[in-house]
Amino acid sequence: MDEAGFSIQLKNVNKEYRRDEFRVPVLSNLDLQVAEGEFLALMGPSGSGKTTLLNLIAGLDRATEGEVIVHDEELGSLSESRITRWRADNVGFIFQLYNLIPVLTAFENVELPLLLTKLSKRRRRENVKTALRVVGLEGREDHYPRQLSGGQEQRVAIARAIVTDPYLLVADEPTGDLDRASAEEILDLLQQLNREFQKTIVMVTHDPLAAQRASRVLHLDKGKLVSDLTQSAQIGATS
Amino acid sequence: MKYLHYIYRNARRNPVRSVLTIASTAVTLFLMMILVSFFNINSEVAEGFEKYNRLIIMNSEGFAGMVPISRVREIAAKPGIVAVTPFSWYGGKYGEEEMPFAQFGVDPTTIFSIYDELTVPPDQLKAFINDKAGCVIGRKLAEDRGWKIGDPLPLKGQIYSFDLNLTIRAIYDGPPDRDLRMCMFNWEYLDEGLKKGVSSAESGNAGIIVLKAADGDRLVSLSREIDDEYRNTDKPTRTQTEEAFTKMFGEMMRDLQWLITAIGMAVVFSLVVVAGNAMAMALRERTTEVAILKAIGFNRSLILNLVLAEAVLVAGLGGLIGSFGCKFLCDVVDISKYSAGTLPFFYVSWRTATLGLLVSLLIGLLSGSIPAMAAARRSVIQGLRKVV
Repeated sequence: MDEAGFSIQLKNVNKEYRRDEFRVPVLSNLDLQVAEGEFLALMGPSGSGKTTLLNLIAGLDRATEGEVIVHDEELGSLSESRITRWRADNVGFIFQLYNLIPVLTAFENVELPLLLTKLSKRRRRENVKTALRVVGLEGREDHYPRQLSGGQEQRVAIARAIVTDPYLLVADEPTGDLDRASAEEILDLLQQLNREFQKTIVMVTHDPLAAQRASRVLHLDKGKLVSDLTQSAQIGATS
Repeated sequence: MKYLHYIYRNARRNPVRSVLTIASTAVTLFLMMILVSFFNINSEVAEGFEKYNRLIIMNSEGFAGMVPISRVREIAAKPGIVAVTPFSWYGGKYGEEEMPFAQFGVDPTTIFSIYDELTVPPDQLKAFINDKAGCVIGRKLAEDRGWKIGDPLPLKGQIYSFDLNLTIRAIYDGPPDRDLRMCMFNWEYLDEGLKKGVSSAESGNAGIIVLKAADGDRLVSLSREIDDEYRNTDKPTRTQTEEAFTKMFGEMMRDLQWLITAIGMAVVFSLVVVAGNAMAMALRERTTEVAILKAIGFNRSLILNLVLAEAVLVAGLGGLIGSFGCKFLCDVVDISKYSAGTLPFFYVSWRTATLGLLVSLLIGLLSGSIPAMAAARRSVIQGLRKVV
C-alpha cells in the first residue's frame, strides 16, 4: 500500500492506440484510487475505455503517459518478463467467454497457474481442490470444459483465477455470456471472494444488475470518468 | 516434465491434422531410411571387413584387365599368407534370366579358408571340391529358388564363350551382412572349357585374386610388395584391402548419391514447410488461449518452448514410426529378395534409424520455430482482442 492507503492508483493516465498513421486516444488524464478489498465495477458504453483501463490495472497493457501503481509497484517501470511474473503472483483473470483450455480437465485448467510456481505436485493438488471447493465444483475435477455448463465453466475460470491466492481479481464481463440464474451465482461468488477473502476486484460490465453487486461503480465515457458512485446501501439491499 | 500432459493434449487436439503430419513425416523418413541405407550399407559392410585381413589384387587397369592365374601360386608362396584364390566374375544367364545372381569362379580348396565367416558343412565342401563341375550356392539363393543339393544349375556364358553345366554340391551360410545369394564354382572348370574353345586366349586368367593374411599388420607391406613385384610386367597389379575395394564401388555411385541426397534435402525442406504450416494453423486457432496463458503468467520463452515441444513431439513420433518402423520391417522382411539380385542383402542399421529420428526432431524444431516465435511475440492484448 502506498502512503495514501490505496492499493491501486492511476495518476494522470493517458492511453492511445495507433491505427496506421492515426493516434486514437482511449483514456485521457485519468486519475483513480482503489482501496484494498474494494469491489469496483467499471461501466460505460462500448469504446468508453473500460476494458483498456482494466488491462492497465492488470498489467496487460501499458499507459502512454502517467503512472499505474498497483500494490506498490509502478507497472510502467517493469520489464516484460517482470510484469509477466508480477501478473502471475498478483492478478487473477476472469473473462466473459471463460477461456478455459478445452483439452484440459477442470482440475488441469485450475492447476495451470500453479505450474509456474515451485509447489510440489501434492501441494498443487491440495490448492486446486481448495479452489474448486470454494467455487462449489468438488467432484467435477475430471470434467472437460465441454462437459460443463456455462456457469460451471465460469466457476472453473474463477477457481483458476484464485488458485494462486492473488491480491487482485480482474473480471471482464464475467456474466456477459450467462443466463440470469448463472450470472447471479457468479456474482454471489465474486461477492463472497470480496467479502470473505478480502480480494480486491475490478469488474467491467454492461449489466446494471451486476454493477449493483459492486461496492463502487465508475462510469466512463470517451476515456474520462463521468461518475463515481459508492453504493453500500445497494449492496445491502441485494445481498 | 509438469507441462508434458499439456503438450501431449495439444498435440492430440486436432487428431486428423496431427495424424496427417505424423504420417507425412513417417513416410518421408521411411523412404529416406531406404535411400540412406542403400548407400550406407556399402561403407558399413566395408568397415566390417577390416578384421578379416583380406587383400584384393586386381589388374592396375581395373576390371577391364585380368590377372594371370600363375600369380595365385606365386602369392600363396609368400610368408604370412593363409590362403589365396582366384575370383572370376562369370555373369552367365540362367534360362532367360540375365544376371540373375552373382557367379564366381574360385578355388574350392581355399575359398572357405579365406571367407571363413561363411560356413559350409564339411561333407558338402568335400563334394564341392571333388566335383569339378560342382558349385556352392548361398542359403538365401537356395531358399529363393527352392534349390537343393544335387540340382543342376546350367549357366549360359555372356562374357565367356563357354557355358557351365553346374551341379549344386554345397550350400553355404553366413552372417546377415554377407551376400548369401552367390554361386561359386571351380575356376578350373571354366578355364578348361575356355582352353578347349575358340577363345583360348581368355584362359589362364582370373578377374581378381583374393588372399587372406595371417596378420592384419602385414596388409600394407604385403600389398606394396605384390604391386612392386608386378610393376614392370605386362599386367601390373593394384592391391588393396577388401575394405578399400568395397568402398570403391560406393565411390562409383558418388554422383548418384549426391543427387539422391539433394532430392532428400528438398523433401525434408518441403516437409518442414508442410509441418510448419500445420503448426501455424494450430496456433492461429489457439491465439486466445496463448494470450490467456501469457496473461496468467506464462512468459515468452515458456510459450516458445511449449510450442516447439509440441512440434517436436508430432514430428518425432512420425520419425520414430518412419525410421524404426523401416528398420524393423527390413529386419523382418528380406527386401533384397525383391531386388532382382541388385542387393545381396539389405538392412537399416541402428545408427541410420537413430539418425532418421534425429532428422525428424530437427524437422519438428524447424517447422515449429516460426509459429512458436510468432506466438511468443504476440502481445496479450492482441491475442485477447477477440474476446474482450
